[in-house]
Amino acid sequence: MNATNTSGTARIITHVKETDPMEPEVPFAEVEAVQSKEYIPVIKETLTGMIQRGLDAATKPVFNWAGRNSLFPLHWGLACCAIEFAAGFGARWDGERFGVVPRSSPRQCDLLIVNGTVTWKLSHKLITLWEQMPEPKWAIAMGNCATGGGPFRTAYSVVPGVNKLIPVDVYIAGCPPRPEAMLDGILRLERLIRERRA
Amino acid sequence: MTDLTLAALLPALESRFGPDVKVLPSRKEVLGVVQVKVDRLVEVARFLHDQGTFTHCALVSGVDWIEHIEVLYHLWSDALKGYLEITVETAPEDPHVPSVTSIWRGANWHERETWDMLGVRFDGHPDLRRVLMPEGYRFHPLRKSFELHEPEELEVKARHV
Amino acid sequence: MSEMWINMGPQHPMTHGLWNLRVKVDGELIVDVDPEIGYLHRGIEKICEYRRYNEVVTLMDRTCYVAGIAWEQLYIMAAEEALNISPPPRAEYVRVLSQELQRLSSHVMWYAAYVQDIGLMTPFLYGMRDRDLILDLFQSYTGARMTYEFMRVGGVRNDVPVGFTDRCRKVMDWFDQRLPEYEKVCDNSTIFLERTKGIGVLKAADCVNDGVTGPMLRAAGVDRDLRRDRPYSVYPELDFDVAVYDAPDCYGRYRVRMEEMKQSVRIVRQVLDWLDRNPGPVLAEKVPRFVGTPSPPPGKEIYVERRGYPKGRGFSAMEEPHGEAMAYIINEGAEHPYRAKLRSPVFVNIAASKDYLVGYRVSDIPAIMGSVDICVGESDR
Repeated sequence: MNATNTSGTARIITHVKETDPMEPEVPFAEVEAVQSKEYIPVIKETLTGMIQRGLDAATKPVFNWAGRNSLFPLHWGLACCAIEFAAGFGARWDGERFGVVPRSSPRQCDLLIVNGTVTWKLSHKLITLWEQMPEPKWAIAMGNCATGGGPFRTAYSVVPGVNKLIPVDVYIAGCPPRPEAMLDGILRLERLIRERRA
Repeated sequence: MTDLTLAALLPALESRFGPDVKVLPSRKEVLGVVQVKVDRLVEVARFLHDQGTFTHCALVSGVDWIEHIEVLYHLWSDALKGYLEITVETAPEDPHVPSVTSIWRGANWHERETWDMLGVRFDGHPDLRRVLMPEGYRFHPLRKSFELHEPEELEVKARHV
Repeated sequence: MSEMWINMGPQHPMTHGLWNLRVKVDGELIVDVDPEIGYLHRGIEKICEYRRYNEVVTLMDRTCYVAGIAWEQLYIMAAEEALNISPPPRAEYVRVLSQELQRLSSHVMWYAAYVQDIGLMTPFLYGMRDRDLILDLFQSYTGARMTYEFMRVGGVRNDVPVGFTDRCRKVMDWFDQRLPEYEKVCDNSTIFLERTKGIGVLKAADCVNDGVTGPMLRAAGVDRDLRRDRPYSVYPELDFDVAVYDAPDCYGRYRVRMEEMKQSVRIVRQVLDWLDRNPGPVLAEKVPRFVGTPSPPPGKEIYVERRGYPKGRGFSAMEEPHGEAMAYIINEGAEHPYRAKLRSPVFVNIAASKDYLVGYRVSDIPAIMGSVDICVGESDR
């Protein structure tokens, strides 16, 4: 087995039987053809980069506007705050009128509301969920436990503040915060997105 | 002979197991408190389950008294409508207690939790793993030698080490 | 067919909280399960050893966040046994009132979440709306929706406000209309009946041996309710029936909870009548200072805390909305409990999951685990 390594972008692996010298080798011309086309990807990258930047400049305000008006939080429940989170989407508060629709898969979400106490046992699962969410994404620490450990900050198993694990944009105080406070936190995040990106 | 009244139960225990069973002064919220030697625990439990109608093992817990570790069992009887408290004492270093999961399956996770929190090994348990703390955690948090600190204190300590 | 392990959780719409159900499947068939909990273990039992008796109440609310006041009373009953204090009768009635309102709100929350899992959307909106009415009542006399910090060693923090009993009666009248409608939504739905009848069977003998308690046990036909069989507080003076059903499946558990809600409404009415007739204090008079209320004057802390007090142990068991909960408090004469042990019914009900899940299909898991009514805060503590 013999690997012919051409430079950088193009790479061809040829399979040569070492036991049989009569076997014809891979035609050299093919390798050369690839090498001569090496400039193509470079040009491609430059062009797409330019187009990307142009497109971004044109579309970012649009996406930003659309994104901040339809924040999809991850539908999960850590602790007490999760019940108030659910109440916030019930009949009385109806969080969905702000375009906030909880989704069960992290792939469909752009907002992680950490609604409860985070333990060290959960920490790497939380980071996995956060990393599975596509960019752009935001995080809200809901309640005192997620903000700084709350009444359990002295415990051996509790992370004193979720900002030790993921970057947090908005903190909501309360133990647990009322549903109004949660919705206010989401509205503040929307304002933050508008001011930061538009 | 399944219908043992409470008045007959405790003397029956004492006469059957002799000095290995000691009836302690009772409190008003339980039927009785019985102290059992570690090596006779399973026999006593079997007796209480089969002949004392204690069909429901409600709670297995432990207390660290520094000189010894006390393991507590609370058993419910549908006929007597009350809880019986069984206490067992073991040594604080490497405590071993026989498991009662062969009699009450419900004791399974309670024993796992006691192992997790206090480090009491239950001999004969089918699956003695940690249940609340992650596997590989080195401490048994409910031991009195394990202390809690404010997170800031811990940070300061880490800086000075 | 090859077998394989699947993780359902920790983040999964079925779990209602964070725990991990590892399932071994053969195709669609469940062969083995291994539930893993502890993702919300906050070390409450250890923190209790560092708090004064009344400060522990704060933690009890958060232990079970859908039935906070039930856990408050559980702890307070054990602590009163350990400290040898007894509350005045009006406090006991206010406690039982809170207890039954909490049972109602917890079951309504269960109904909202469970039937939505099964596939009907209306009950979620019904349930969340009606639950807010009960939380408003709680808010009017405790000041909070979910975490109340209401009970004290030796009584409750404050009496119910003026006009509360009439407001509460109105809500109970509303529930009298709503509860039959809840049942109508489920019993007329083929989806609901198909997904619950004959699913998740756990026979009475297995229930008892596994230590399973609460509506699961009563659905299997075992007639046991600690409110009647081992009476605590003022339950012996109240008139109510124990809900028992003879189908040990998801449908039976649903029937038992529905019946319990009606009985709770009945108990609340009786308690309200009693509260109207009997004014009085709600906090015992000679409560030792070191239990935490009110706080000692500056400079006098040592004098207050070092007062001798008899040692004791307290054990309490009660019928919480999820099952039988127990607390065991050891008082060594210090200002903190020496040891506080809590028995969570959900912890044991999850432990027995192998017995009621194996043999069913993967698609039955949400229906079965939902009918257990899992509250992770309580099972992990």
